Amino acid sequence: MINASHLIKRFNSFTAVNDVTLNVDKGQIFGLLGPNAAGKTTVIRMLCGILECDGGEIRLNDKTVNKAKTDFGYVAQHFGQYEELSVRENLQFYARMYEVDDEQWLSSLLDRYALSSFKDQRAGTLSGGYKRRLALACALAHEPEILFLDEPTAGIDPLTRKLLWDDFYRLSTEGKTLFVTTHYMEEAQRCHHLAFLSAGQIVAEGSPESIKHALNNASVYSTSIPYLPELREALVKMEGMILVNQFGHELRLVVSPVIDKSDLETAIQTITGKPPSLHLSEPNLEDVFIALTQEQPVKP
Amino acid sequence: MMTAIIKKELLQLRRDPRLVALIVVMPLVLLILFGVALKLEPQNVRMAYFDGDQSFFTNLIKTGLWSDGYFDLYEVESKEMIIEEIRSGRAKAGLYIDKDFSALLTENKQPHITFFVDGTMPSLTTAMKYNSDSATDEGVTNDMYFTDADADNVVIAQDPFIMDTEILFNPDEKETWFFLPGVIGVLIMQIALILTGISVVREREKKTLEQLLVTPMSKTTFVIGKLLPYVVIALLDFYFILAAGWALFDLPQPNSHLLLFILALIFVAVMISLGLLISLIARTQQQAMFIAIFIIVPSILLSGFIFPLEAIPDIVRPISYVIPFTYFVEIIRALLIKHTQFSDLISSFVSLSAFALLFVSTSILKFRQTL
Repeated sequence: MINASHLIKRFNSFTAVNDVTLNVDKGQIFGLLGPNAAGKTTVIRMLCGILECDGGEIRLNDKTVNKAKTDFGYVAQHFGQYEELSVRENLQFYARMYEVDDEQWLSSLLDRYALSSFKDQRAGTLSGGYKRRLALACALAHEPEILFLDEPTAGIDPLTRKLLWDDFYRLSTEGKTLFVTTHYMEEAQRCHHLAFLSAGQIVAEGSPESIKHALNNASVYSTSIPYLPELREALVKMEGMILVNQFGHELRLVVSPVIDKSDLETAIQTITGKPPSLHLSEPNLEDVFIALTQEQPVKP
Repeated sequence: MMTAIIKKELLQLRRDPRLVALIVVMPLVLLILFGVALKLEPQNVRMAYFDGDQSFFTNLIKTGLWSDGYFDLYEVESKEMIIEEIRSGRAKAGLYIDKDFSALLTENKQPHITFFVDGTMPSLTTAMKYNSDSATDEGVTNDMYFTDADADNVVIAQDPFIMDTEILFNPDEKETWFFLPGVIGVLIMQIALILTGISVVREREKKTLEQLLVTPMSKTTFVIGKLLPYVVIALLDFYFILAAGWALFDLPQPNSHLLLFILALIFVAVMISLGLLISLIARTQQQAMFIAIFIIVPSILLSGFIFPLEAIPDIVRPISYVIPFTYFVEIIRALLIKHTQFSDLISSFVSLSAFALLFVSTSILKFRQTL
């Protein structure tokens, strides 16, 4: 459905997107995961045809982007609807841009996104969550087959996020293809397929389950220890340490094979004075994400 | 705290090099331009003459007018044609000399000649009247005294001939007649440029452009869709201002309401499309405003609206002719005050339409469907 090969985008001398190849099947929810400035927005804008590529080829539904404009909808990261227009006027506007004027369908869309009671309110006065719903409704007005969502739930409360994701799944079961960029693990977890973007390059790809093994032979240890600055400093300095990540009282360590469990126990005991109870645990998405997208991505 | 704000403002300004360039370069360019251009001495003012006498004496008068470079004389076939030439705008002044000039002169009967002046432009009228003195200079009149040594002492009139000045089209030299038609144009120009000048750049700044660009609209759809509503609004505004001019001041009626409407339509289209072009070039609303001012100020000063085109030196004159407002000023004065025929205004109408076409097509070319 979405086929992009060897995409390149340069801004002056800076290469923002460097040889990115992506293939998304119909009905899939594809997540492009990456830290800020990794090039996610640049990739999604190129796919939507609003940024010119410096290299590579894009096919949407087997057509060039310009020929496929009615086949996709796009929700930009920033609210891009007209603040002076009411909710309904915005929806009508975007619908007419695709020559859709079925009022019944448009009001059903408003219903679906719980916007009916605000339909005469100016879009600029909506809260963040409702702005996002309006943007989504506008992008769906022409019933596109593909939906591009640039950080669709950034800054959105968990409840609204869950509601939006319920809707994404529904769209996916209706056969629509969703392309989502995000830096939320929770959101990434919900995608069918993930690609990790770091510094303009894809560093890992696969299902949320399979991508957890992208660290290959690295191991993850966890222990219960309160945060200690000097401990963190000592651990970070260890040769072969990939990631030191604290969650409340839980300390998670991602290490390459040159470090074994006893090395870690010794290091921790030196600082804390008592032997820790280290457990080997499954890498989670965040471990992999941070490990892969740190300044110098570890290529296992 | 205040210094923090001051510093922040200066930093923000410095980060917009285009704006800094506009602030520095624009005044400099305009200063030099106006320094060179703005003089109140008209030169080579086109003057149609009919000389029924064709004598040595009348040649003296014509040479007197010609020699200072103020007037550029050309011959027409009758007194009526002089007035027609001025009505059409081909001439700004005229000179009529009757066939019995020499006869009366030699008899010391003080013949009259008529100097016609286009009254639609008081500053030019005043300058022309002043410069027409060269026709009655001593250099001209010295050879026109006829004294007979044998005759009785006769009182010779002080001036050998009399030059009457006749102001055409605006005999009372009303400044409102002269300025108001142009003022309407200035107001429309400002409204149009500001209205559309920010229209695209605001969408860019507010990020609505990004959402719009993914839709399947064509460049032409976008440009025409952006232009049309503002053309209608500015056209209504034009008639609103015109109606106020008629109601509040004794602004004359045009000879053709249809021509006036066509003029308004074309002028509004030119200004709205120029505004859109500005909006496509500017990256911020501030830049758009500056570019608009950069266009409005020379339009006012170099179009013949305030200073006559004849007073603008030849090296700057081409600029006057690439200012659309120049043609508007000429046509609206012709329609409201001089009641010029369409056939004499065709070239100005064509020029104005060409600007509209140029700006619309450049806007379509300039509009990028990418960010």
